[in-house]
Amino acid sequence: MPSPFFCGSDAHRVSRRGFFGAAAAAGVAADMTGLNVLGSPALASELRRGQKRVILLWLAGGSSQLETFDPKPGAPTGGPFRAIQTDVPGLQISELMPKMATRMKDVCLIRGLNTRNGDHGSGAKLMMRGRRDEPSLRYPDLGAVVAREMGRADSQVPDYVTFYTQTEGRSFAPGDSGFLGARYAPMELTTNNTPEFIRRLDSITETDHRERAELRNMLGRDFVRGRTSDALGSHAEAYGRVRGIMGSERLFDVSQESQRTRDRYGPTQFGQQALIARRLVEAGVPFVRVARAWWDSHGQNFETHQEMVPELDHVMATLIDDLKERNLLNDVMVVTLAEFGRTPGINASLGRDHFASAWSMTMTGASAKGGAVWGRTDPRGQTVTHEEVNAANLFATIYAALGISPHKNYYVGSRPIPLVDPGAEPIEALVK
Amino acid sequence: MPPVPTPESFRQTGDHNRPVITFAVALGDRPGRAYFGCSDFKVYEADLGAAKVEFKELHGTHGSYVTGVAFAAGCVVSGAYDGKLVWWNTAENRHVRTVDAHGRWVRKVVASPDGALVASVADDMVCKLWDAETGRVVKELRGHAERTPTHFPSMLYGVTFSHDGRKLATCDKVGKVVIWDVASGNQLGACESPGMYTWDPVQRLHSIGGARTVAFSPDGTLLAVGGIGKIGNIDHLEGKARVEVFTVADGRSQWVFESDRYRGLVNKLQFAPDGSWLLAAGGAGEGQFEFLDVAAKRPKRQDKLTMHTHDFAATPDFGTVVYVGHNRVVVHKPA
Amino acid sequence: MLLRPAYALAALAALSGSARADDPLHTLIDQHVGAAIKSAGVTPAPQADDATLVRRLTLDLVGRIPTTTEVDAYVKSDDANKRATLVDRLIASPGFARHQAAQFEVMLNPDGGGRRGGAALGEYLRGAMTAGKSWDRVYRELMLPDESDATMKGAADFLKARLADPDKLTNDVSVSFFGVNVSCAQCHDHPLVKDWTQDHFYGMKAFLVRTYDAGGMLAERGFGLAKHKANKGPEKVAPMMFLTGTKLDDPTAREMTKEEQKKEKELVEASKKEKKAPPPPAFSARARLVEVSLKDGNADFFARSIVNRMWHRFLGSGFVNPLDQMHSENPPSHPELLAALAKDTAAHGYDLKRLVSGIVMSQTYSRSSHYPTEATPDRRLFAVAALKPFTPLQLSTSLKIAAADPAQFEGKKAAEFEKLVEQMEGGGRGFASLIAQPTDNFQVGVGEALLFSNGDRVTREFLTDGGNTVLGRVKAMTDKKAAVALLVRTAYGRAPTDAESTALVAYVEGRADRPAEAYRQVLWALVTAPEFRFVY
Repeated sequence: MPSPFFCGSDAHRVSRRGFFGAAAAAGVAADMTGLNVLGSPALASELRRGQKRVILLWLAGGSSQLETFDPKPGAPTGGPFRAIQTDVPGLQISELMPKMATRMKDVCLIRGLNTRNGDHGSGAKLMMRGRRDEPSLRYPDLGAVVAREMGRADSQVPDYVTFYTQTEGRSFAPGDSGFLGARYAPMELTTNNTPEFIRRLDSITETDHRERAELRNMLGRDFVRGRTSDALGSHAEAYGRVRGIMGSERLFDVSQESQRTRDRYGPTQFGQQALIARRLVEAGVPFVRVARAWWDSHGQNFETHQEMVPELDHVMATLIDDLKERNLLNDVMVVTLAEFGRTPGINASLGRDHFASAWSMTMTGASAKGGAVWGRTDPRGQTVTHEEVNAANLFATIYAALGISPHKNYYVGSRPIPLVDPGAEPIEALVK
Repeated sequence: MPPVPTPESFRQTGDHNRPVITFAVALGDRPGRAYFGCSDFKVYEADLGAAKVEFKELHGTHGSYVTGVAFAAGCVVSGAYDGKLVWWNTAENRHVRTVDAHGRWVRKVVASPDGALVASVADDMVCKLWDAETGRVVKELRGHAERTPTHFPSMLYGVTFSHDGRKLATCDKVGKVVIWDVASGNQLGACESPGMYTWDPVQRLHSIGGARTVAFSPDGTLLAVGGIGKIGNIDHLEGKARVEVFTVADGRSQWVFESDRYRGLVNKLQFAPDGSWLLAAGGAGEGQFEFLDVAAKRPKRQDKLTMHTHDFAATPDFGTVVYVGHNRVVVHKPA
Repeated sequence: MLLRPAYALAALAALSGSARADDPLHTLIDQHVGAAIKSAGVTPAPQADDATLVRRLTLDLVGRIPTTTEVDAYVKSDDANKRATLVDRLIASPGFARHQAAQFEVMLNPDGGGRRGGAALGEYLRGAMTAGKSWDRVYRELMLPDESDATMKGAADFLKARLADPDKLTNDVSVSFFGVNVSCAQCHDHPLVKDWTQDHFYGMKAFLVRTYDAGGMLAERGFGLAKHKANKGPEKVAPMMFLTGTKLDDPTAREMTKEEQKKEKELVEASKKEKKAPPPPAFSARARLVEVSLKDGNADFFARSIVNRMWHRFLGSGFVNPLDQMHSENPPSHPELLAALAKDTAAHGYDLKRLVSGIVMSQTYSRSSHYPTEATPDRRLFAVAALKPFTPLQLSTSLKIAAADPAQFEGKKAAEFEKLVEQMEGGGRGFASLIAQPTDNFQVGVGEALLFSNGDRVTREFLTDGGNTVLGRVKAMTDKKAAVALLVRTAYGRAPTDAESTALVAYVEGRADRPAEAYRQVLWALVTAPEFRFVY
């Protein structure tokens, strides 16, 4: 059993905050040459690690597994859409996804999700975090963990960016760094595709903006000497990153891409945000969520999916192709996930309702095994009959496919907190 | 012409549970005979005049939801989400032909008043006219955009012939209605009923609704379009059942009826034989029928149906109306 | 470095004979803390200077930086008793009630940034602090609010915000008042802590499970029960049991009948209509919890928890950390001192002002946060003052004060001054909502740095140079050195160092064509630098 008395002191672990904080305050964070980086084992391994990144396509409101990755054509619950053969022998997906049907050999598909929570709010939290919050402990979500594991303290780009432009369900699934704190809180884009406060105000010149920041550094220099605290370090680090992040504004500007590339992603908001996500991960941003709301098709499920799935098919396929062409797919994982799936039963409004007992998600890229399918549902799609996966197993698998040990501990005060619920193991068959 | 039944005179005479969703109904050439297109991919036949009504499988050659059925040239012509039309001879109970009719999902199939033509509409946004006897395509009518203004796939829901068979009208997801000259295949005009379509650009970023059904008045001067009014929460069919009436000659809107009593889609519209009223049926979680007084521009009778109604068919004199929908088939007759 | 229990024992040995129960609180504190430092062989940081201390006391007690007038008065005073006088003045001021209430609000509603229950709880707490209510009284009023009393409406919000989830209610009550997080014991006996079994969680829940929402009003049934199922074995009915193991005879533990369910529904409808809470039951389980938890032998949890929390509030960390992990396997850094303070607090009727005053009058509290050598002593020794990040409201109010022309505060009567400060606090509230509430292990996010660097609001709300602003004042000054010195003094409560003065003057001189802009940027740099952001 881990010691419940871990003191959390700097002496017991390399504190990137304290370390870089002090460095940043001294104005040298951007230049690491003066620091004995390799003398600090934790830091060295952090810089060496092949930096994996994640683009999460968050299908908010709950997309239907039956109209995407787990069709049941001909079953009373199957709906009108047919299944089509994919490039993986024996694997069929919905006819609404013809583009992905020719790319499934790159995709790792889980059809056996049983996450037992059909409520938007708590379901979204569960599927963003891989576990339920405790009454007095908020867990960090996938984005915050990946930001923490893969982000660099002196990063010139944001660590965790989330797009959620639609308003429905946004408050159900906020990006949340939980106990990891503000350092890993997401940069949230809700109203347009450029982050808030990333652009210098017109009322100050470029020179003044830069020199004002230098003046600020000068004023802090005496104060930080002889004082150590993680919070103080984070304050310096936050201001130390401002100019770099401002420089990353161009990453959010799709007009920097060729017209051909922009056309490839298509004219929709989701397509354009996926393109920005690609630009961000290419520049080293560890985690980008592009939320696409709102799939909650209680009425007219088939028409809603007829409208929305082809867009998903197109955007997902384009993103995968683009990452592949740029040699990024070994490092970047594209995840499709929602808070839950939809009922096999079709209601009187030709809708499908909330359903968390047998649904699907995908992982493409990094060390997720392409062409793999895990989990089987019964002929009507009502239960998982083989290879059931819960939220904890899923997150353990995602972490493993990113090269992060799911059993790694974080500490809250003296309390060790493993990344996933104790006992949850990754599905080895899905990890390369 | 026999007297037209009053809206108040209709009574329910039959109510049949079905294990499937029935999307379409057509009446055959024998009294009481009706054909049904269903969610189990099958076409059924029933004699609604029988003492004990039985739904018999006519055929199961489709590969998806059967959403349109018409009776012409001794055949039931059915269309489905598999893009195919199937001709089935009812007298001999045999398969006549299957045609790969559309590249996408077929929404509706209707026969011309003289039974010589069959029209089908599908989400490839094309209306096709077929020779009912030979199954050969006669005309392809293209006048509906394939994409909505926000770049999503559109849908072509409704088609109907005028009573003289010379005109045809089609209606789509964004509320556009096109009137066609059957003989030439030319567009005669178009009208817009944008109130039928709700695009939610901010909250949910998708759409719902659409112009679902069209009907010409018997004299051919009016065109009624049915669907649903604007919806706040597009997760549900919570808009008001909506009908808009246009004059054919100039495409001008004459009247918008938004139900004060029922929410949901109007999936089927038909004028009275004398044009005095208009019957609109549809629903959401449950269903309704509403008789509208055409001259007075107000509802005459509004009542519940036990199921979300996807279609109805009536004999020419409205002596029988067959409503079909979610797990039920209901028969009404004037008292 | 880890403070092992052995240190504590050694500290105790060093203490024996020197600390007495009737010593003033601050003496008691210094003796215990000093002994532990001594036995750890650590040199403590020296006492903070006067300017630092007046800043720290003002921030900690009334939630803002001091004005230049306040700093000068304190620094220049040679009254031997000036610290006690200052502490008394601050504790008696309305700012104390507002700031402490805000802190309690966050403590009671940590997830909502202190706002989950709406503004009413905050109003209640401000009233309670203004009236100088004792902590046990606040506890009683929060747990047993009388909603028919208009002044108690906000008190009911603590419970009402949690009625949808009795498990959360149970845990939040335990955490808030007893420093005990029993949530781990909800599904199984606590894996790490022998103290907490499922019986503890469900025993506590049994007191609270009968409380329900009657159409927006708080109500309680005269019966009901908490059931739980161990990992193995049959379902058990949990008797009401306090954390100490004290069980209550409970003749009313039973399920509701159908008839009673129906009756309750009608009752709820009636309450909704009349906007009046249903009458309390003859036997109130919740009232029994309050009674049992304050009884001799059980009250230790309550007393130790409030002492630990107040110590944490003023010293930056508790005797026991985290604050909700007070159990036998997580011993306090200073067990004797915690026990003594808890005993004293209970004996003095849970008088918060007495406790606060005792803490902030101690030499332990007034140590410098600066420790020049490499190895900083373990923070559990309290040998160096901790840096405490500002709360959002501390930050926004202090920004308002730093941006104001200090002449505004001069020569004001106490009441007028307090009114002005309250106005400034109110004016900063909106901005405060953009700032993260600090927690243990708090880190400042890049979002805050971007907001300050590029947010229009910072410029509009704090960096204008109109009338009554310090920027308006310096704009009109010809002596640049005096101008930057004034800016440093309003922001930091001290004179600039020579190096600072030179650099700031040079910065302004380099912008001779835009002096107003230059001063604005100087003030920006001052208030975004770490010296402004922390209580040090």
